[in-house]
Amino acid sequence: MKLALREMRRRPSRFVTATVILSLIAALLMLLGGLLDGLIRSSTGALRAQQAQAIVYSSTSQASLVRSRVDPDVRQAIEQIDGVTAVGGLGSAQLGARVPGNGPRDLADVALFGYELAPDGVPDPPADGQAYADEILKADGVTEGMTIQLGPARTPVEIVGFVKDTAYNGQGSLWASAATWRSVLLANRPDAQLADGVFQALIVQGDADIAGRIDEATGGATESLTVTEAVNAIPGVKEQQSTFNQIIGVTIVIALVVIALFFALLTVERSGMYGVLKALGARSGTLFGGVVVQAVVVTAIASVLAAALMVLLDALIPPGSIPLQITPVRIVLSAVLLLVAAIAGCLFSLRRVLRVDPASAIGTTV
Amino acid sequence: MYLALKEMARSKVRFGLLVAAIALLVFLILFQQSLQNGLITGFIGAIRNQNSPVLVYSVDGQRVIQGSVLTPDLEAAARGVDGVGEVGRIGQGTFTALPTAERLGGASETFDTSVIGYDLGEDGRGLGSPTSLSAGRYPAADNEAVASSSDQASGFDLGDTIRILPGDEVITIVGLADDAQLNVTPTLFASYTTYEAAVASANPDARGLLPNVLAMAPAEGTTPEQLVANVNAASPDLDALTRADAEANTPGVSQVRQSFQLIFLLYGLVVPCVTGLFFLIVTFQKANTLTLLRAVGAPSSRLVGSLLAQVALILGSGIALGALLYYPISQQRLGGIQLRFETSAAIFWAVLLLVLGVGSALLAARRVLAIDPIEATTGAGVGR
Repeated sequence: MKLALREMRRRPSRFVTATVILSLIAALLMLLGGLLDGLIRSSTGALRAQQAQAIVYSSTSQASLVRSRVDPDVRQAIEQIDGVTAVGGLGSAQLGARVPGNGPRDLADVALFGYELAPDGVPDPPADGQAYADEILKADGVTEGMTIQLGPARTPVEIVGFVKDTAYNGQGSLWASAATWRSVLLANRPDAQLADGVFQALIVQGDADIAGRIDEATGGATESLTVTEAVNAIPGVKEQQSTFNQIIGVTIVIALVVIALFFALLTVERSGMYGVLKALGARSGTLFGGVVVQAVVVTAIASVLAAALMVLLDALIPPGSIPLQITPVRIVLSAVLLLVAAIAGCLFSLRRVLRVDPASAIGTTV
Repeated sequence: MYLALKEMARSKVRFGLLVAAIALLVFLILFQQSLQNGLITGFIGAIRNQNSPVLVYSVDGQRVIQGSVLTPDLEAAARGVDGVGEVGRIGQGTFTALPTAERLGGASETFDTSVIGYDLGEDGRGLGSPTSLSAGRYPAADNEAVASSSDQASGFDLGDTIRILPGDEVITIVGLADDAQLNVTPTLFASYTTYEAAVASANPDARGLLPNVLAMAPAEGTTPEQLVANVNAASPDLDALTRADAEANTPGVSQVRQSFQLIFLLYGLVVPCVTGLFFLIVTFQKANTLTLLRAVGAPSSRLVGSLLAQVALILGSGIALGALLYYPISQQRLGGIQLRFETSAAIFWAVLLLVLGVGSALLAARRVLAIDPIEATTGAGVGR
């Protein structure tokens, strides 16, 4: 191990190119993971924040808020189910918002939610005509106390505070009373308006297994999902996750092959030296351990460089362009995956290390 | 050349690993190229392949058809500008649709489906209709539609019927259009009345349905760009775009392109780096042999030629293998996205990677050229 580290200190140039390549691959892994996290986060925050055992949609809505409508009689049936402790309505409207100080064509994309049960991190519903805004709307110039205008009818809504991680479909969310949501819908999207008492979805709190019982009680008029199921039912979420994870998987295999290739070449080059070391009593395990240590060090340095590059990239990307989200968890996960690939890649060199015959040291130039 | 091939045959694992690495990289690049193009076509194919040269949104719509609503005063303002030739309404909504074709064997899978309603005109080719059909005919009456051809297998084939849920609104498919999806969902082009009926079927509370977008053709002597300028000057709440701009400015399209460009840049850098590193190390390892060959009279050009032949062969094999791996994947659908073999992209990447790979090996070639045959008598090689 000491020998391996000493070689890296004395001849760093030998490892520079491999470190650069692995840094690029590590950066790719973190970029892909960061894009996936960014896309999912900006699409699902409003549902992830719900404190519910079930989110109830109408059965034909494909778990889409804008296509779902749950009537008051269905709500009543759900409220009477044993194990249900609270039921609240939820509705949404996606609109353009005119922000004071911005140009007449420079609108902010918002998703207005009308709610009765407060999601995690969101206070109880504010007074009519007011809303809490997701903090990503700050990038559009939205500030606390400001009155913004929603939709073509320019319905005024006063911002009374900010909340975190509640974006929906890539839009900043606004959280308002059910009455505010209903009036905004009526004024701006008459084609999407719902009668009094009708909501797009219901948030149900109660027993952990309540979802199945709700659909039974409503005679199949509803589709009840857990929060995780509702998040995965948002169009594109599952597809994005599986596609990105496959690409990340193949990229890890590429890292493994590159590391295998690099250390196989180094091992071939060192065969003579390994013969001498074995002749002096070094065990194959020790020699292979040295290769693994070098691979781990190169990978660790590459991961640190890539992480720095990604943090820099994240800072440089203007808000609203590429949906990149670089988190410590993603960086550590990418580094760990790369380390596993590095160690696995070294196994290609194991056979060659084992095959080195100490007798070959006699008469060779090291 | 012979020596180069012989060396590769003797070191199959080494060269094989390099070919595998390049093949996987090429496969990923091509796959993601397909994914990018498929995703963008799935998002905005219905805009790109409709026949209206100009689309007029409300500014509030943020260039999303479904998000745009044209109030009567905005519609009147747009219709009244100079240079307007023909105008039609477009309405678009996403609905839950149930294909009911008998050949599906009673399968009850429902699909998110976009319905685009437009004024049919006399022959069904009113503004907003698909530019061309791959099969069938244009709708001639209400409750007939042209469907995106990539969804045939899901029950959106010629003659199939689709029921909008909830309700009893049934639409019959009479034509198919290629690359005509919107929002990566099966897409139906039908009469505006059919669209209105679908909205009423899905939401009985809906009142006062307004068009989402106006489709416009300029009058003779007016260009689409002039018409766009005229409409935008008429009201700050109108947002007119040419077809190409409407396609490019749909939210998400530029983000998808930028994200993939960043990914391609990194993958594109890895290929020459891996190739260059490999041949540099191999050249170092062969230093003594190469020096000896130079000493016995082998010209530098032959040694460099052998090296470049190896590089070209390895890259060629890797690229060919990567393309072969990509071919079966490119025939699949990924969720709602139709992938396809992108021949021009494959050629572009093959040439680019070949040039970059050979370029990266020039460092190794420089080392070979630096060999002094006299070193054979001193034991020093290029690596010393």
